[in-house]
Amino acid sequence: MMAVSCLTRALRSLTVSQPALLSSQAVTQTKLGTLVPSTGGQCRGFLTTASLDQNRTQWKKREKYTVNPIGMKKTGGRDHTGKIRTHGIGGGHKQKYRMIDFQRLHYEADKETKPFEEKVVDVRYDPCRSADIALVAGGNRKRWIIATENMQTGDVIKTSGVIGRMAVSANEGDAYPLGALPVGTLVNNLEIQPGKGSEYIRAAGTSGVLLRKVNGTAIVQLPSKQQVQVLETCMVTVGRVSNIDHNKQIIGKAGRNRWLGIRPSSGLWQRKGGWAGRKIKPLPPMKNYVNLPSISNKTT
Amino acid sequence: MATPLFSPTVLLKDLGRMSTHGQARRHFAVSRSLPAKALPARRPRERVEIPGLEMVTYGDRMHYVPGLAKPVYPQWERDYKDPGHYKAPPAHHMLLYKGKPCYVYNQRTSALEGVPQALWLTKAKLISGLPPHLLSLAESPANQIPDQDERVQNAIKHARFWDTTEERPCKEKYSNTLLSNLLHLCATLQSRHTVIGRRILAEKYSLAATWKRGEDLFQVRGQNGLLYNCMDPLPEVSGKQEVGDTAHHVLETFYPVSPSIDLQKVHVYEEEVNCSGFREGYPYPHAHTLYFQEDGDVNCKLHPKQFRAKMVMFAFGNALARAHSLYGTQPQHVLDRPITVQAVGTNGRLFQFLVFQLNTTDLSGDDGIKNQVWLDEDVELYDFAKLRPLIKKKQVKVPAGLEGYKPETFRKFLSLYLHGAV
Repeated sequence: MMAVSCLTRALRSLTVSQPALLSSQAVTQTKLGTLVPSTGGQCRGFLTTASLDQNRTQWKKREKYTVNPIGMKKTGGRDHTGKIRTHGIGGGHKQKYRMIDFQRLHYEADKETKPFEEKVVDVRYDPCRSADIALVAGGNRKRWIIATENMQTGDVIKTSGVIGRMAVSANEGDAYPLGALPVGTLVNNLEIQPGKGSEYIRAAGTSGVLLRKVNGTAIVQLPSKQQVQVLETCMVTVGRVSNIDHNKQIIGKAGRNRWLGIRPSSGLWQRKGGWAGRKIKPLPPMKNYVNLPSISNKTT
Repeated sequence: MATPLFSPTVLLKDLGRMSTHGQARRHFAVSRSLPAKALPARRPRERVEIPGLEMVTYGDRMHYVPGLAKPVYPQWERDYKDPGHYKAPPAHHMLLYKGKPCYVYNQRTSALEGVPQALWLTKAKLISGLPPHLLSLAESPANQIPDQDERVQNAIKHARFWDTTEERPCKEKYSNTLLSNLLHLCATLQSRHTVIGRRILAEKYSLAATWKRGEDLFQVRGQNGLLYNCMDPLPEVSGKQEVGDTAHHVLETFYPVSPSIDLQKVHVYEEEVNCSGFREGYPYPHAHTLYFQEDGDVNCKLHPKQFRAKMVMFAFGNALARAHSLYGTQPQHVLDRPITVQAVGTNGRLFQFLVFQLNTTDLSGDDGIKNQVWLDEDVELYDFAKLRPLIKKKQVKVPAGLEGYKPETFRKFLSLYLHGAV
């Protein structure tokens, strides 16, 4: 009600004057204008409709980190128009999202940038991923990270960004840059670009292998046997991701799939195309994520 | 013939410009057709400011012109004061802003390490179990209530069974009723010990105490619970010899976790704020016992460890506020008369008893005389208070009604109550 009256008051000041308005009225209006504070000649436009923004993704726009779980809105596979974009998603148990800090080498604000240790406070199930998550506390802050295989409450895990001349004998759960680890270690939570946060090898029971280190870069074999070349300053955690028996889980009944939020696929028999069937292909070439200056740039 | 055709439009345009002279003009940026579905928001174009160059905006033209920059309007501010729409200034603009942060322990803080963290913060040594001479206070029959056990059991039954029109009272309600019933029972001894008349219960008072620990500043703030105030101070619990012995005790540290974890870090605070919750000249200045309830705050659910830590911190806060008002805010290595504050916490069935003795206000270093804490944790008053009996395989495992009453717990409660009166 108040909004409507404000709106009408604002609009009244903007009405295009009627032809009957003559100079005398213009003068009186200017006189009135001196009493009422004018908006300086320009005024930004305003919408006369209700807000058309959707708040379906506002829950994930939170910028400040928190340890408390955040309520999630399920999409059901629908996009902003309301139509299904991905089939087979919908229903399932309600889940709360716990903000995971994938950037393992995340120094606390106002603290020195040197290797630090953290204590594992709790290892628990996360409904949003296959791996378990661990609440670690160090200094004045607590954060969630992906737990590794043998992480228990009370463990102390180390995070270091220093690359020494000798390779470090790393314990499971510690995080080091690739250049500091010995060749052949099992690693997880791999960063592709240093400082960006880990994007690879995060699923339950997975682990990559550090194959070799070549001048400033390191080559890691991902769980899909694909090899990637990344800078040696990229952070990585040692060990396998927790919940290693995840792939041995038997769903058992259709209902359990529904609890996980997986809707049944379409029952219509569809002729399978060229995509189906077993493919035996050679491994794709090694993917290089190191941005070296190319020769073409130098010549031009 | 042409002129009458043109004149109205000319008039309109001129009048339009004239009439809006000095008033707001309409900006046609938003009077376009809008799609029915909300398009996904595109990232707004980054605005680059080059010093020395003036941006040519379409603000004057009153509508979007491709190629010109988007005008930036000043933030509108209400020219009158509206308390319903007040925006606080950012922290660094506040008057009390300080560069050095202060860590505040408030009534909703859930300390990660629990009691060891509270002991480090208060520089105290833990002794499990209440002091024996305190427990012996309630053993003598002169200090016992007539029909004590029966009356306490009635009090429990009232709190757990009778105090509701529904099937069972909720935990918050029954713990509250139980506490007030037990306090009422203890107060019936006033006929025998008139000193009890020099005490009063107080609620919803705000405590504040400041101290320095190492290089950091700590504060205890908040409304903590029911306070039992007294006109006379409590006698000290341990003698000078024991107080001197605490100097050899080493405080437990919990590397890599810092002791200020989970405390609220503030930059806007008042230094040296020490308030016991009451003004000068209040007739009952000495804090005797604090009564905490686990479900006192709806928004805060504390684990038992964190609840005990809260008890320790607020007992210390009360003692420190009293010490500062008596001896000044300068750190004192040893207090001539150590200040004792007791605390009782309950969840309706389990009780935690605490006695805190403040021996020193010199808390910056880790060595020297320490304060003392006697803690008796998880003392059951009764085992079960069930409305319906628990029957397994056609056998009654736990009958309905009050079961497993332990009289020692109320004796401890009574001895803490009578401390200082006998």
